[in-house]
Amino acid sequence: MGKSWLRDYIVKRLIYSIIIAWGILTITFILVRVGPSSPADKYLANITARGGDPAQVTAAIEARYGLDKPIYVQYFNYLGNLFRGNWGWSFGTSMPVIELIKAHWIYSFQLILLSSLFAAILGMLIGIYSAVKQYTKTDYALTFLSFIGISIPNFWLGIMLILVFSVKFGLFKTYYDTTLPLFSLDNLKALVLPVITLGTGMLAGYVRYTRSAMLDNLRKAFVTTARAKGLPERTVIGKHVFRNALLPLVTIIMFDLGSIVFGGAYLTEIIFGIPGLGQISFNAIFANDYPVVIAVTLIGTFMVLLVNLATDISYTYLDPRIRYG
Amino acid sequence: MVETLRDAVRKIGRRLSNSTRLIDYYWQRTRRNKLAVFGLAFIIFLIALAAIGPFFTADPTAVNFEEKEIPPIGFTTQQSTYNIESDKFTTNEIHGTWKHPLGTDSKGRDMLAMIVSGARVSLLVGLIATGIAIILGTIIGVLSAYLGGWVDNALMRFTDVMMTFPFFLLLVLIVFIFGPSLAFIVLAIGLTGWTGTARLIRSESLSLRTREFIVAAKALGASDNRVIFRHLIPNVVSLIIIIATLSIPGVILAEAALSFIGLGDPSVPSWGIILESGQHTLDTAWWVAVEPGIMLFLTVLAFNFLGDGLRDAFDPKSNV
Repeated sequence: MGKSWLRDYIVKRLIYSIIIAWGILTITFILVRVGPSSPADKYLANITARGGDPAQVTAAIEARYGLDKPIYVQYFNYLGNLFRGNWGWSFGTSMPVIELIKAHWIYSFQLILLSSLFAAILGMLIGIYSAVKQYTKTDYALTFLSFIGISIPNFWLGIMLILVFSVKFGLFKTYYDTTLPLFSLDNLKALVLPVITLGTGMLAGYVRYTRSAMLDNLRKAFVTTARAKGLPERTVIGKHVFRNALLPLVTIIMFDLGSIVFGGAYLTEIIFGIPGLGQISFNAIFANDYPVVIAVTLIGTFMVLLVNLATDISYTYLDPRIRYG
Repeated sequence: MVETLRDAVRKIGRRLSNSTRLIDYYWQRTRRNKLAVFGLAFIIFLIALAAIGPFFTADPTAVNFEEKEIPPIGFTTQQSTYNIESDKFTTNEIHGTWKHPLGTDSKGRDMLAMIVSGARVSLLVGLIATGIAIILGTIIGVLSAYLGGWVDNALMRFTDVMMTFPFFLLLVLIVFIFGPSLAFIVLAIGLTGWTGTARLIRSESLSLRTREFIVAAKALGASDNRVIFRHLIPNVVSLIIIIATLSIPGVILAEAALSFIGLGDPSVPSWGIILESGQHTLDTAWWVAVEPGIMLFLTVLAFNFLGDGLRDAFDPKSNV
């Protein structure tokens, strides 16, 4: 026995992740190459307006970006550059893309971290409560509310929060203040509305998942055993039922990161003017700043890939029953 | 000739009566869930609104600065106008009028007309894009499960790659690269949204594949085509209906969100585009942002209620 199966398993997951990463980069490369515009477009209008020869300009720019080389050379250059951390040049902000991202990622990170914590903790507590009080009026009300929470478009919720709390009551600023130090109470206050905006949908989802995972386990024999032993209800629910319900929940929380959280954070940042990765991608769209839009998509995708890998590996610790061959 | 024709008609009749009985049975089960019935009613209302509404409302693109920012019925706002001759601001109270029941936006366009034409866009996008995604997902899922081997491996690894992309970020990238026309947005959502369906249909088909009736069909010499279309797919139809109902809201929201960040089709006033324009006039005309959002919210809620009700109704284990 020993731990050798674990090492084999981790190596296997790593190789698998590398294959997926290669797939992601290849699909992105194909998308960009198949797309109708080229980096030359950005300069073409500008230079031809000053009397330059369009054909000459296009040729020069294509040579500069290596677009005149055979497609497979371009492909390997692209992969090589990404690995060396050369993510291209942002025309819109006149700096290397990698520097731009280094300056802005922390804003997305703090928003996503706080929202996830808010949603996970509150969602699990409400879900447990709802399951314990199954078929009571409170349970129905909470279930109904969670339906509403799931259905509210988060970008609309953000605007409504601004309308009520900032425009009507003046409790919060309508825009995120970028001059605030990151670790300060004022910064936390500025993030209240964005966190609610991003967190509500997740929160409602976690309430529903926790409730159903708890109910699945509440009827099992080991719960009856625990109660028969005379354990206090608090221990039965907290230590026996919830521990068992936690594993599927971890999967869902991690899965949400890709499907809901990144898209939601993108929109939330735009609504509140938080200068995170979503915001720089949004600005790049208007400036037709290709490398930035691609970089933000790739970073989001690789974060999902890393989190998936971490989840798979952490399972072996969370659930000792799991053995992978 | 006549004989075979009569046979064919009989056969179709029998099939139809069979399916109406089934539909009747599921309808009875769904009906017991009040929220699902509400969802269905709202969806029918929305389809009617989108189909015939535009014939009764004003032109949603007609700009009229004389009538800008009129509040909805029952609301009153203050509007100050600058008079260039007297060099003074005058403040008037503006009341909602029946001419514009839901008010007008900052360009004087009728909100009701915009909401109605937006319903058309959202529903079309939701139904068509979901249709593409479901068909693609079903084909990939069934093929993967049925053929197995390297085909299964290749298809599922491709699905893994597509699933790793955060859905919205991938959409943003695709629409950014290929340009925001409505047809393309629909296609992009359809071509990226099939992964979940493929996985679910695959696992369902895998368990069906080893069941007696499929094995029996194969033993009797049925071709792969026949097994797939006559035995496998009919048995995953209920799953497909549930997935479709529950994925429509996500698709509608995705289109609205794309419009909201400026990647919508500018020639079509979708709810997302109205919402985005309303965000800039929150202090003078709050209703422009509120109204399309309420419609989006109710639409998503209705599909979620219906999908949830259908899931319970189709689940033989649940007692509704």
